[in-house]
Amino acid sequence: MIENVSRRGFLKGALAVSGAGLTLAVVGPRSKAWAPPFAETGTSFQPNAFVAIEPSGQVSIVTARSEMGQGVRTSMPMLVAEELDVDWDSIKIVQGDGDPKYGNQNTDGSTSVRTQWNPLRQAGATARSMLVAAAAAKWGVDAAACVTEKGAVYHKGSNRKASYGELAAKAAELPVPEKVTLKNPKDFKIIGTSKTFLDLPEIVRGEARYGIDVQFDGLKIGSVERCPVRGGTIKSFNADKALAIKGVRKVTPMETAGPPANTYNGLLVVADNTWAAIKGRRALEIEWDYGQHAAETTAALDKQLAEATAKPGKAFRNEGDAMAALAKSENVVEAVYESPFLAHSPMEPPNCTVIYKGDSAEIWAPTQAPQWARAQVAKALGFEADKVTVHVTLLGGGFGRKSKPDFVVEAALAGKAAGSPLKVVWTREDEIRFGYYRSQNRQLLRAALDSRGMPEAWLHRSAFPSIQTTFNPENKTPASWEMGQSAQNVPFRIPNLLVEAGTVDTSLRIGWLRSVHHTFHSWAVNCFADELAAKAGKDPLEYHLALLGEPRVIELSEQDKKNPYKFDTGRLIKVINLVKAKSGWGKKLPKGRALGFAAQYSFFSYVAMVADVTVDDAGALKINRYVTAVDCGAVVNPDTVKAQMEGGVIFALSAALYGKLTVDQGRVVEGNFDAYRMVRIGDAPPVETHIVDSDAAPTGIGEPPVPPTAPALCNAIYAATGKRWRTLPLPEKLA
Amino acid sequence: MTQVTLNVNGADRQLDIDQDTPLLWALRDELGLTGTKFGCGMAQCGSCTVHVDGQPMRSCIVPAAAFAGRKITTIEGLSEHGDHPLQQAWIELNTPQCGYCQAGQIMSAAALLAQNPDPSDSDIDAAMNGNICRCGAYQRIRAAIHLAAKKNKGARP
Repeated sequence: MIENVSRRGFLKGALAVSGAGLTLAVVGPRSKAWAPPFAETGTSFQPNAFVAIEPSGQVSIVTARSEMGQGVRTSMPMLVAEELDVDWDSIKIVQGDGDPKYGNQNTDGSTSVRTQWNPLRQAGATARSMLVAAAAAKWGVDAAACVTEKGAVYHKGSNRKASYGELAAKAAELPVPEKVTLKNPKDFKIIGTSKTFLDLPEIVRGEARYGIDVQFDGLKIGSVERCPVRGGTIKSFNADKALAIKGVRKVTPMETAGPPANTYNGLLVVADNTWAAIKGRRALEIEWDYGQHAAETTAALDKQLAEATAKPGKAFRNEGDAMAALAKSENVVEAVYESPFLAHSPMEPPNCTVIYKGDSAEIWAPTQAPQWARAQVAKALGFEADKVTVHVTLLGGGFGRKSKPDFVVEAALAGKAAGSPLKVVWTREDEIRFGYYRSQNRQLLRAALDSRGMPEAWLHRSAFPSIQTTFNPENKTPASWEMGQSAQNVPFRIPNLLVEAGTVDTSLRIGWLRSVHHTFHSWAVNCFADELAAKAGKDPLEYHLALLGEPRVIELSEQDKKNPYKFDTGRLIKVINLVKAKSGWGKKLPKGRALGFAAQYSFFSYVAMVADVTVDDAGALKINRYVTAVDCGAVVNPDTVKAQMEGGVIFALSAALYGKLTVDQGRVVEGNFDAYRMVRIGDAPPVETHIVDSDAAPTGIGEPPVPPTAPALCNAIYAATGKRWRTLPLPEKLA
Repeated sequence: MTQVTLNVNGADRQLDIDQDTPLLWALRDELGLTGTKFGCGMAQCGSCTVHVDGQPMRSCIVPAAAFAGRKITTIEGLSEHGDHPLQQAWIELNTPQCGYCQAGQIMSAAALLAQNPDPSDSDIDAAMNGNICRCGAYQRIRAAIHLAAKKNKGARP
């Protein structure tokens, strides 16, 4: 059993508070419980920021990435523990605060295992090497003659043994080696084995503590009524009715913190409890000046997108002369794909607890980016960063929403205004209406087929509001990294190829949602490839393989050339062939039932999928199952890879089947799960996953399952019914 | 404000709350039972599911004051040692991802098993359709309910 120091300490405080309204000096003990406890113990051996070994033998490992269901609180310590040679069941896990000493802590972009694979193994190996050196010095033997196992050093020749605890004090006096040797992967005992999440026992007992669960005596609850239109301001307000509600303590205006946090103008209600805060908000009387965006509608953005894709855009890849080849071809295929704004909707809405202390601030937040939040809070409060402490709680889902510092910065400003410790809790409506949205988009694809039915020209024109506008409203044209997500880097061998971006504008904040622009580019490209196969009269999976041709490395820029992670189409072909073999591709199926295929390289990982669907005569869709194949390099925790594939498919299906936000009068219309629907258990197909055995450097797994899901579905529906659906979400009835 | 006595997880608890305070916020804010989660506030997602006299109830839309004298069970009180067959099965199959919705999932599943000790997939889908899991752990939730049903069967003489 792995003890979770941070949460156990927290829990103690929380239970004490819940007991009988005790007055506790909880701020001190609780904050200590959330900080790495060994920072204060002078006797422990701490060769780096990630490992501490007490003389008692207790090994603590810091995880500095945020846990939101992707398993980093398990996989990160596995990397350290492997090289350290400690007993997995005996270690303590400590959640690191937001602090540059841990390196980059941004938990997004499917980066954790990929970027921490070396540094965390080195952290473990460094500690191990110093413990071995301490033992060798103690025994007067050659370090090379010593071995380690389960928290102890052994000398083979003399049969001597010393535990890490016994060696800790001596190791602490030794210089930290600059270079250490990492294990040969064939010697791994922990990496590559399935470990259950260490937080499971607490989760199933309701004891796991998320951001929203932070409680202590004297903590007030804040709720913010934001101007529904971005940039709008308060003309006047009357808080009398709100203040008359029992438990409401204060109502005070909140002003936007400006970019990059981009919080909204609004009114903060401070109350003794959550219900009073919510009721207080409902009782506010506010006259808004909605500002310049109050006329924005979905229809107007539709029009902008149509115009942007009807004319040449900014070229991001231009090989041969696609426009000329298209102009003279007699066999042109064209299709337009559209999908709407999406919100992240993690089950735990944004929330943040702040103790504002005048010259410093202490914060508990379910944040994916604690260092960014810390820096932005410091900026907003006018402090140096070292005056702001950001403790990272468990996240009840993130999907990119909790990367943004807005909810932390807003809470910090609210905490200052409240004059007492404050937890700002967002409602579901707040989360959906004040998000950082996946862009609404429109994509035009046009291809010229040669006599064999293969494309000799390919035009992909993609228009969508750029994520860059969230940080600088002037940067409206999509950036290369945005177009590089499944559009610019299309891996097909086509002599005349043009990929362009169209520019549109919205007042909504745009963000990254699990797999970002791959969500729509991969959908359009995979569906269009399927359309070309149909036009050519070929099997779509075989046609996709023909489009890829002989294996090669796709390198489009100097940056690609320098990047150690290559886009190797040979690996993509391998997962396609694997899913073909495992899915029963090509087998005869009853009428109304069919398979659909899609494949995508994203976040340096390779995924191929087959969706198996049945569409009945009335157009009702049943998704029977998905079969998936993934190559994400070496695997740290195989069961997590499977879980991410299973969950990623469901996440993508929510978007494909239901996900749509509309804008009217400058504001998001939908507000809760009745209108912004999610896949539920009855819609959820089983997902079967096949992992390619690989010794390549590990890559991402949180996002790669998402891109191929929707195109595999739409291609299966076409195969079953002969009808193409080019707008997401799909209608209720496919007839 | 209203004085209400609630029987929660086997103990009578005195509360001084606004009479329309939803059971969810009474449990969380007044009793510190934060295992029951807020997800939507309109009985759409099931994160706030508790048992009232053994029946699953979305605690976010019902006033706590309406449940005086009724037997309320939250995830913290589902089993004395946190080892209800569902809790065991959930761990064995590594079911949760972020875990936030899982208390609600387990409470819905516990009510299902109490009524139907050996549910089919479609029984599970019908009983669990009110519980959203944004991480998409449904496949494992289904499997874990079957596993718990099997454990229960083994436990019965």
